[in-house]
Amino acid sequence: MGNSNKYWRGVEELESKTISNGNEFSDALPMDEIFGDAEELTANRRDFLKFFGFSVSAVALAACNKAPIKYAIPYIEKPETVTPGMPLYYATNCGVYNEGFPILAKVREGRPIKLDGNPNSFLSQGGLCASGQGSILSLYDTNRLSNPVVDGKENANWAEVDKKVMGVLKASSGLRIVTRTVTSPIMKASIDAMLSAYPGSSHVVYDPISYSGITKANEADFGKKIIPNYMFDKAEVIVSFGADFLGTWISPVRFSADYTKGRVPSPENPKMSKHYQIESLMSVTGTNADYRFPIPVSKHGLYLANLYNKVAAQLGGSAISGVASQELPGNNLEVIAKDLVNARGKSLVISGSNNMHDQQIVNAINNLLGNYGSTLNLAGGMNSSQFDEQAFDAFVADVKGGRADAVLFVNCNPVYSYHRGVALAESLKKVKVISTNIVADETSALAQIIAPDNHWLESWDVQQPAEGYYTISQPVISKVFNTRAASETLRIWSGADVKTADNDQASHNWVIEFINANGGNADKSIHDGFFGSATGSSPSYSGSLDNAASDIAGRKSGNGMSLALYQKVGPRDGSWALNPWAHEMPDPVTKVAYDNYVTVSMHDAKINGWEQGDWMKVTANGHTIEKLPLLVQPGQARNSVGLAIGYGREAATSQKNDLTDLGQNAYPMVSATSNGTEYQGMSVTLEKVGSGYVFAQTQTHHMIEGRDFMREATLDEYKEHNNVRNEHKPHIVSLWEEYDYTKGHHWGMAVDMNACTGCGSCIVSCSIENNVPVVGRNEIRRRREMHWIRVDRYYAFEVDADTHTKVRIGPSYVDQDFQKGEFVTKENEIAGLDKASDEDKDYGHYDNVKVVHQPVMCQHCDHAPCETVCPVLATTHSSEGLNQMTYNRCIGTKYCGNNCPYKVRRFNWFRYNLNPKYDYHFNNELGRMVLNPDVTVRSRGVMEKCSFCVQNIQMAKLQAKRENRKLKDGEAQTACAKACPNNAIVFGDQNDPNSEIAKLFKNERAYKMLEEIDTAPSVVYLTKIRNRKEEVKEVHQS
Amino acid sequence: MSGTFYNNSTFVAIVILVLVLLLIAGLLVGVMRMVRGMIQEKYPEEVKPGWYERVVKSKTKDWNPTIVTLVVIAIMVLVLGGWGYNYGMTEVGVQQDYSPDQPIAYSHELHAGKMGIDCQYCHTTASLSRHASIPSLNTCMNCHKGAQLRDKYNGQPSPELMKIYKAVGFDPETSTYDPNAKKTPIKWVRIHNLPDLAYFNHSQHVAVGKVECQVCHGPIQEMEKVYQFSTLQMGWCINCHRQRGIDVNEDDNGKYIGNKYYEQVHEEMKKKGEHYVTVAQNGGLECAKCHY
Repeated sequence: MGNSNKYWRGVEELESKTISNGNEFSDALPMDEIFGDAEELTANRRDFLKFFGFSVSAVALAACNKAPIKYAIPYIEKPETVTPGMPLYYATNCGVYNEGFPILAKVREGRPIKLDGNPNSFLSQGGLCASGQGSILSLYDTNRLSNPVVDGKENANWAEVDKKVMGVLKASSGLRIVTRTVTSPIMKASIDAMLSAYPGSSHVVYDPISYSGITKANEADFGKKIIPNYMFDKAEVIVSFGADFLGTWISPVRFSADYTKGRVPSPENPKMSKHYQIESLMSVTGTNADYRFPIPVSKHGLYLANLYNKVAAQLGGSAISGVASQELPGNNLEVIAKDLVNARGKSLVISGSNNMHDQQIVNAINNLLGNYGSTLNLAGGMNSSQFDEQAFDAFVADVKGGRADAVLFVNCNPVYSYHRGVALAESLKKVKVISTNIVADETSALAQIIAPDNHWLESWDVQQPAEGYYTISQPVISKVFNTRAASETLRIWSGADVKTADNDQASHNWVIEFINANGGNADKSIHDGFFGSATGSSPSYSGSLDNAASDIAGRKSGNGMSLALYQKVGPRDGSWALNPWAHEMPDPVTKVAYDNYVTVSMHDAKINGWEQGDWMKVTANGHTIEKLPLLVQPGQARNSVGLAIGYGREAATSQKNDLTDLGQNAYPMVSATSNGTEYQGMSVTLEKVGSGYVFAQTQTHHMIEGRDFMREATLDEYKEHNNVRNEHKPHIVSLWEEYDYTKGHHWGMAVDMNACTGCGSCIVSCSIENNVPVVGRNEIRRRREMHWIRVDRYYAFEVDADTHTKVRIGPSYVDQDFQKGEFVTKENEIAGLDKASDEDKDYGHYDNVKVVHQPVMCQHCDHAPCETVCPVLATTHSSEGLNQMTYNRCIGTKYCGNNCPYKVRRFNWFRYNLNPKYDYHFNNELGRMVLNPDVTVRSRGVMEKCSFCVQNIQMAKLQAKRENRKLKDGEAQTACAKACPNNAIVFGDQNDPNSEIAKLFKNERAYKMLEEIDTAPSVVYLTKIRNRKEEVKEVHQS
Repeated sequence: MSGTFYNNSTFVAIVILVLVLLLIAGLLVGVMRMVRGMIQEKYPEEVKPGWYERVVKSKTKDWNPTIVTLVVIAIMVLVLGGWGYNYGMTEVGVQQDYSPDQPIAYSHELHAGKMGIDCQYCHTTASLSRHASIPSLNTCMNCHKGAQLRDKYNGQPSPELMKIYKAVGFDPETSTYDPNAKKTPIKWVRIHNLPDLAYFNHSQHVAVGKVECQVCHGPIQEMEKVYQFSTLQMGWCINCHRQRGIDVNEDDNGKYIGNKYYEQVHEEMKKKGEHYVTVAQNGGLECAKCHY
């Protein structure tokens, strides 16, 4: 037997604070208070009958609604391709991060209702991240500008706008056009037209998140200013210094799809890449690593330089001189260096730092290892970051100094996300400001003229996400508002005669011209969504580490607290922060929904006397945030403070809900140096100013009380026994009458925990597909979140491999009386750990925790405990193995939810649609356009749960019947399976012997959750395998 | 949602008012009779028999009061119950015989009956999709661009057709479309309204189940004005699913000629000596076939 883990979900569980074991009702129920003395009850039986009779008739009368006249309004001229009731799919681009990410939009009767990744492009591979999934709501956003705005007049017409703007521009002698990174050649041409039409004008690029450290390092080392083309699928050893490449770093969907290809061992090919993560905060990527080493934020560069020196020592390169020697505990940096050298040419080192010198060291390591050309390549690199801090700072100085007299912002919002946004806003008041932003955001609020751009789902465009590779945007809805494509707007303002009309004919023509001129076939490219291939020049390395050496040697790495700013997987950089789905989805690691908080390690919290929920005053980089709640994050490095950017939006919003005034803006804490915008390493002070905040944290909801649900093994164990951890099949004595599921379909799902990174894309996808309501922070605090699929995140301390009686705590072992041979035991057994730690004041076991993610949805048990307790047969079983939920039959007893061992049933405590108390998209006409017309919107008082997307199953079956053929594997798909870039969730018919699902059910890693209680679930989980060896000990930072 | 069958709250108020007035009237009659009885007791000669005694009482005095009461109650139950049932059914969405006025007096009797136009010439998506869909106006214009029925209306186009011409911006005099005309869709009143909680797919029944339109929609080719033929209640659905078969036919040599989708399950069942007869046996009564 190998090592074993004790799983727990949150700190409060160990401290037994909010969760009591088996004593859920700590106080006796106040029956007397509610009902009073029996003698005081004056109503007798007759009165009761009277009241009862009255209420029955009153309810019957009240239940009579008006029977409304419904209308059926056909097309005047039906478009040839549209069949009412049938979806159409269009290939277009996701515009959230302006990077030309290819997606498919599902369109019903002219309105897009669902976005998924384009399966044929290497960038998306069929997956789409959580914020991309949710971004469809930005199309139906009530905060969008419905007309151009001139001097505060909100219903200006375009002729008026054009006349006025051209007047302003002609009078200007220093126009500045500020855009996000321009990956669109069409937009580029429009900007060029403006620049040549107005002398003295110039173009400035602004991105909220800068990757200039990487692009500048590549310019210095290779002479090519680009983000390399990373190929995680080809890497056998991956070393990431704080780069959250599975969550937020550069292109996480593509990276996780590639990464997973090397992470799923099979009996034929029992191989896995080895992933080391060296980081300060606990990122999604860190939770998936084989080995994770927490290091203080301030020593990031030092560790990098030391890794370089160790690699160079083995491969005969010249060392970086003048930097202090630094090792990971247990000499693990040396181990990593050895691993890298052994896998040279097939390894990959990356860093999340945006410091040019850190990135130069990374380049040097990859160059020494010969990785260029195999695991990363400058040919076909990514164009998604052209931001240059110096150029933008010069622009800010120009505005302040009066050298710029008119500024045109094209879809960017630097007043919010620039670190000196407040000062920029002040100086912008002196100049003419024009904006094309689609909402009245912080920057547009300063504009005299707003000429709103189309939403990206309403536009024609071409983007170049990678060198030589073009992706095409096409409109999938006719314009919702009176807007105009920004590329056309700019062309008109430059004086060109543009035939623009309601249908954006001009930009359509430009797209076709561009495709034809660049060797693509217009029809095919628009159909596919892309053309070309990612290629380009790959210059050779000619870098020098002299500057990097002196920079790192000169960095102060004192013992004070350092700050690391990071993006969260849901709201990301905050550009689209007013999206309820992005916040309702709990953070993959902290499992907190909605809030913005500062994270610290357990050690720092205990030493300073802080507790989770304390209010902290945070000061860094000369900026103070008065009040933010504190969250204790297991696995976080000491002396490191984490804080998410993307909150504190002050944009005007018409809705009043939990997104209004959410969190604090941390962008002013970003530090700008000549080496790039720094998101980490700033000195920070924390001061406790209050306590008692309660997070909407889902991590301890829906507990399954320490049963055997999570199985994990090492690669070596797997090589020995492919069925490791699944050796013991439970002996089941069934009370159930057997039903023959072998005829027809028997639907099943497999969840590969080696492929699941916990990113949460499936949660948002499911919510959109199934009209799952957004309930807001307070309801989540009351454990009333409605998500049909949740991703459980468990922490684990490691139990010693041999004895099973020790838990590895810091440098030493602490004896605990665990049951020998038991894999997972009761949670309260690990609660005693803190006692030992309190004595040595070390809390070392919190520094290094392992994390596993486990998506849990309705298991569609063939012996379903929920079905037997329903008094009204509202939940029943189908002959295809589906656990059906019939809303109109449900009377809301909640017996089923109580009897479900997996805790996957959700109760509608309120009516969440058309209810001003839940002022999200269900509460306005525009937002309801996103609803899936094939799925009922549930009302108050009924249970609901995952249906295996039965609407898609039925649709696929019907398609097969209509076409007089068998159903093919993969035709019926659930929303979660479609969204996952890693193919971690597979859905299909168990009875089809050739289906992927049937093979996965036979996989030796497959087990069913709680099989021993004979629920006979239709979902299997595949044991998580980590590529760990026992000799590498993760030891905490001393 | 503007129109309603009737204003519900006003209606309820009137009913309640009438009931209260009837109650008061009954009480008053009772008081009168009591007073009259008391007077008659005291001065038997003074009081002449009234209209009630002369006309009603004389004829009914031999009737058994119990039977009379029961008969009256039975009639009331029948009348009120019938009305209440009808009212209640309409309220919960059962609108059998519902036949609202349409914006254009289109006759199915003429088009489908006399002219014999196939249903799916106009309702094109019935075999493709969830909705049978009301035809878009360009379908009407296929014929009515030419067929303007001038002979019936003194050389003028039919006034009903003019509504279509106006909606699509067509000038019947010159037979041309005005590209600048503001086109307005026709707002047909929907007759068959399933509740939102039930999912129904036309193509499943038309293309796969090969059910004739008339099975559910009745003799549509005889309807001058369309009405809802079936109840569209769940029991009605279920009954049909219990009776109708699925396409698992074999030819005389035992070769499968049914829908290939069902072939495998048909073979498997055949091995066990069973075979599908009805939709219900194929899971056609399971909740999540229609409710999700």
